[in-house]
Amino acid sequence: MAPENLLRRPQPAEKLTLGCPVMDRCLAGGIPCESITEIVAESGSGKTQLCLQLALLAQLPPSLGGLSASSIYLHSEFPFPTRRLHQLAAQFHAHHLQDLIATGRDQRYDPMDGILVQSIHTADQLLDIMPQTESFLQNSQTQFPVRLIVIDSIAALFRSDFDNTSIDLMKRSSLFFKISGKLKSLASRFRLAVVVTNQVVDYVGDGMNGLKIGNLEELYSSGRRVCPALGLAWSNCVNSRLFLSREEDEKANNCSVERSEEDGGFGSRTTRRWLHLVFAPHLAPSSCEFVIRREGISGVDR
Amino acid sequence: MDPWKLPISSAIQRKRLLSQSYTSHASASPSDLACADRASDVIYLLLIEPQVITSKFSVFSFLFVIGAQNAWDILLEEESMTRITTSCAELDKILGGGISCKEVTEIGGVPGIGKTQLGIQLAVNVQIPSYYGGLGGKAIYIDTEGSFMVERVLQIAEACTEDMTEYGRFLGKSIQARQVEMGPKDFLENIYYFRVCSYTEQIGLENYLDKFISEHRDVKIVVIDSVAFQFRQDFDDLAQRTRVLSAMALKLMKLAKKFSLAVVLLNQVTTKVIESSFQLALALGDSWSHSCTNRLILYWNGEERYAYIDKSPSLRSASAPYSVTSRGIRNSSSNS
Repeated sequence: MAPENLLRRPQPAEKLTLGCPVMDRCLAGGIPCESITEIVAESGSGKTQLCLQLALLAQLPPSLGGLSASSIYLHSEFPFPTRRLHQLAAQFHAHHLQDLIATGRDQRYDPMDGILVQSIHTADQLLDIMPQTESFLQNSQTQFPVRLIVIDSIAALFRSDFDNTSIDLMKRSSLFFKISGKLKSLASRFRLAVVVTNQVVDYVGDGMNGLKIGNLEELYSSGRRVCPALGLAWSNCVNSRLFLSREEDEKANNCSVERSEEDGGFGSRTTRRWLHLVFAPHLAPSSCEFVIRREGISGVDR
Repeated sequence: MDPWKLPISSAIQRKRLLSQSYTSHASASPSDLACADRASDVIYLLLIEPQVITSKFSVFSFLFVIGAQNAWDILLEEESMTRITTSCAELDKILGGGISCKEVTEIGGVPGIGKTQLGIQLAVNVQIPSYYGGLGGKAIYIDTEGSFMVERVLQIAEACTEDMTEYGRFLGKSIQARQVEMGPKDFLENIYYFRVCSYTEQIGLENYLDKFISEHRDVKIVVIDSVAFQFRQDFDDLAQRTRVLSAMALKLMKLAKKFSLAVVLLNQVTTKVIESSFQLALALGDSWSHSCTNRLILYWNGEERYAYIDKSPSLRSASAPYSVTSRGIRNSSSNS
């Protein structure tokens, strides 16, 4: 590629809505295209829910905040939540049928057709499927090209293969940059939004774990201090980071007692969930509360 | 006086003089002497036969060695050297007015500290017209990570035009009520944006910059965001990486000197294991850290952002607080 061709006319990035105006306000429109957005949370916080929701919302027309596109969903945690996706897709179809038809889709269109799922087991496998993905994106003739790639989760790919020695950590770091470089290159070329989920580790008080990265001094979830997995090196590889946290409130709340999904509603425990913006090149620090319902995730204006 | 009788230290130098056909001092005109390979050759000739040369001395002193300057001229030049403001008074103070042109400055920090924000602020501030105290130049922004967000640039540019209008009003009659002609979109137009997706593209682009800037002489700053990202992938031979990076740093320095522009390199941080304890260090290794003239480290101090001058040939080490606001980089809001 000749250097002269690298000169671009920068365009404002398109945004993919999160499905709710409260959460969109927090992110000034939604998930931006041409960059990698990371969602960090402990398990059971709603990462996968949010990703499934985004994969469906991408099919909406741009006037409603979508990208009129299909998505690629790479999952490394098993099993893939097929039943929940079914549930969300049915709700989505019922709610947005007219909008989907307006984009040129058939009456009998199933939103699940717009999500291409692939399972991955190791980081090397992820690197291996990049050229495949690239040629797929290049040669795809469909009316609804892929504009969203979800990787759920990136941490699971690195948990088992690497020891804690410095050589392995260096190998791991260079893999981070390779993967991130390839993803960013695809994102830039094909104007994709890339969403990656990450797990958390407990803060143990030594090493570089407690380093302040982004707006939040400390990340708390379920009453304990946590840090994003994969360390400082991976933090350098993503453009934006969102943190989903949850807290169990023991006291009874008269206004809204939300049955938490796990315990089936014993007592009056409420689970409150928040979305925090840890860092992003275009956003001021913000947080918003959200709930997970049958129809999906939506923000709460309290 | 024949060259071979001159008390020149080695036979090689004598041979060289002869090869350049200086058979006698009379035949060597000042311009010939100025083109001699080594200044030492010329000095010897001067010492030996001063009376012959004095008549040509005035012309000779200028042609002494091509490309050299005397220290007095350099000092005068440095004092008139323009600086690009960072829009934060505290930061400008420790930087002696701002980021200096003709030099390479490296800025490093953890993710989210404001490196890209500072890069964008400088790319906007370089465009401030001269009647508002700026350079009135254009910017080159080389994006290797995809952090350049147009909406943010427009936001910062808008705040800059508002500040300029405010300043113009403050100066009142002296500016003759000059309307600020530039809008946020004009600021965006004046930033030449390059998106780089691999280290080969990055190297190729840096080699191309000389030609590009010769054709666009009003460019006064080159920002590379970030210089490290593409190079932190697997390099089979780390020594090769060091060589490539050193060559790159040298080219950038030459660019800065040749076109009198500022080169700002944004770098990432990594952990370094020193005696089984972890410490933060800038990426790209120890040899890279020698390549830049100035280094600024951005770090968190509690809830506040601070900038620290880690390396500078002329400024003393100092820290200054700054903040990232919706208007861009500004003074820190706390009073302490």
